[in-house]
Amino acid sequence: MPSTSNSNRHPGGSSLMDLQPVDAGAFRRAASGWLVWGSLVLVWMASLLPWRLWQPVPDVLLLLLLYWCLNAPARVGLTTAFVFGLLMDVQDAGLLGLHALCYVLAAYGVLRLSHRLRHFNAWLQTFQVFPVIVAACMLSSLLGAWLNGAWEGWEWLWSALFTGALWPLPDILMSLHPRRLGGDGAGPV
Amino acid sequence: MREPGTLRLFKRGPSIEVRLVMLLVLCLGMAVTDAHWSVLGPVRSALSMVLYPFQRVVLAPRDALEYFDSWSQAAALARDEQEALRRQRIEMAQLSTHAAQLAAENEQLRRLLNVSESIAQQSVAVEVFYVPSNAFSHRLIFNKGSRAGIAPGMPVIDEGGVVGQIVRVTPFTSEAALLIDDQVSIPVQVLRNGLRLIAFGGNEVGKLEVRYLSANVDVRPGDVLVTSGIGGLFPAGLSVGRVEKVDRDPGTGFAMAIAEPLSHPERYRHFLVLRVDVADVPRPEEIEHALDEQ
Repeated sequence: MPSTSNSNRHPGGSSLMDLQPVDAGAFRRAASGWLVWGSLVLVWMASLLPWRLWQPVPDVLLLLLLYWCLNAPARVGLTTAFVFGLLMDVQDAGLLGLHALCYVLAAYGVLRLSHRLRHFNAWLQTFQVFPVIVAACMLSSLLGAWLNGAWEGWEWLWSALFTGALWPLPDILMSLHPRRLGGDGAGPV
Repeated sequence: MREPGTLRLFKRGPSIEVRLVMLLVLCLGMAVTDAHWSVLGPVRSALSMVLYPFQRVVLAPRDALEYFDSWSQAAALARDEQEALRRQRIEMAQLSTHAAQLAAENEQLRRLLNVSESIAQQSVAVEVFYVPSNAFSHRLIFNKGSRAGIAPGMPVIDEGGVVGQIVRVTPFTSEAALLIDDQVSIPVQVLRNGLRLIAFGGNEVGKLEVRYLSANVDVRPGDVLVTSGIGGLFPAGLSVGRVEKVDRDPGTGFAMAIAEPLSHPERYRHFLVLRVDVADVPRPEEIEHALDEQ
């Protein structure tokens, strides 16, 4: 992973530069582009594998998209969600736009809630992200049921619930990363 | 220091609500269009061209594993298959002499009747590339596409009979709707008495339906349905299904037969796409237009 920023310390600088902030939380560095796009592409490619044939499996691509919407909103937003949704639609040979609709709605929900969500840890965020994911998946499957003229069953709900329940997972995984990630552009400048 | 591009003093571009509405309208428009018309075909085709290399890379370990597996079991498989084939050959020998006799007789009768001689179909052997995860439809994606001469409308068969029909193609892949997909309808004939019917993908999962029969129709459980050749896409005489039950509804005066497909797309990976001349077959729009003119 290439280093994306300079060192904070200036060896020959003034003594003020040597001071350490009491709370470094606000100064944590933004997630690097390599990490964001690399993880998204990796999870997207994993979604091309046949394990998704069992309908109630969680949608990990959606989960990661929402995670990055919250933690790297400058890089990942509605358009990214739309593009990945479209790719999933083509992969599943379904109607174009159904996955895209679900992803865009969920991304919007998380972006709207992002200021609020940042006050909570990942476990408490789960309860707030749950309704967003369920509502987005429900609207998308209602549209699908209307256009296909048939109700596909309740597997989507299981999938949405499992996806929601996995919400703390990317946070745990990213906390294992040597350089802790913070809110992208969220801290005071 | 922050990375360039992440520090934004002023919002640029349209607000998030505007973008949301634009994308939602786009999603809805695409879904509705895709459900009713086929104008989005090129978009889908282009996107699946983008997907194709990634799919190949992701599925490469599976293919390699399968290759290694089949290679390591090759001897045992070959022995089993040889035994089965030997038994089959003995069973078939009798049938084939009989069939040859009938074919010769049939050709002779056709010549007498001045009917054009039946031509052997050209075909392409395909392998399942992947099964799309979609609750609404029963589809298979094959590893060959328009480069191999496959076109939408061509029938797909296995050793049991008709498996389905090609519905979409890209240069390297093709998508087949199985018989049990509710978008497929196939002209059939009851083998026992020659009654011509149309079979549809059923509401009941994994079954075929023959709808709108008159209540006194001569269809019984156990009857074998074969393609009738009417409509031009499916060559005549391919087996399709076996009737399981006939529901007679005295209220409407109609009967409906439920049939089980004789092909087993879930068991095999290799299929044959028959390269029928799709261009000769009138498209549904043309037929509707012709009917309107009448």
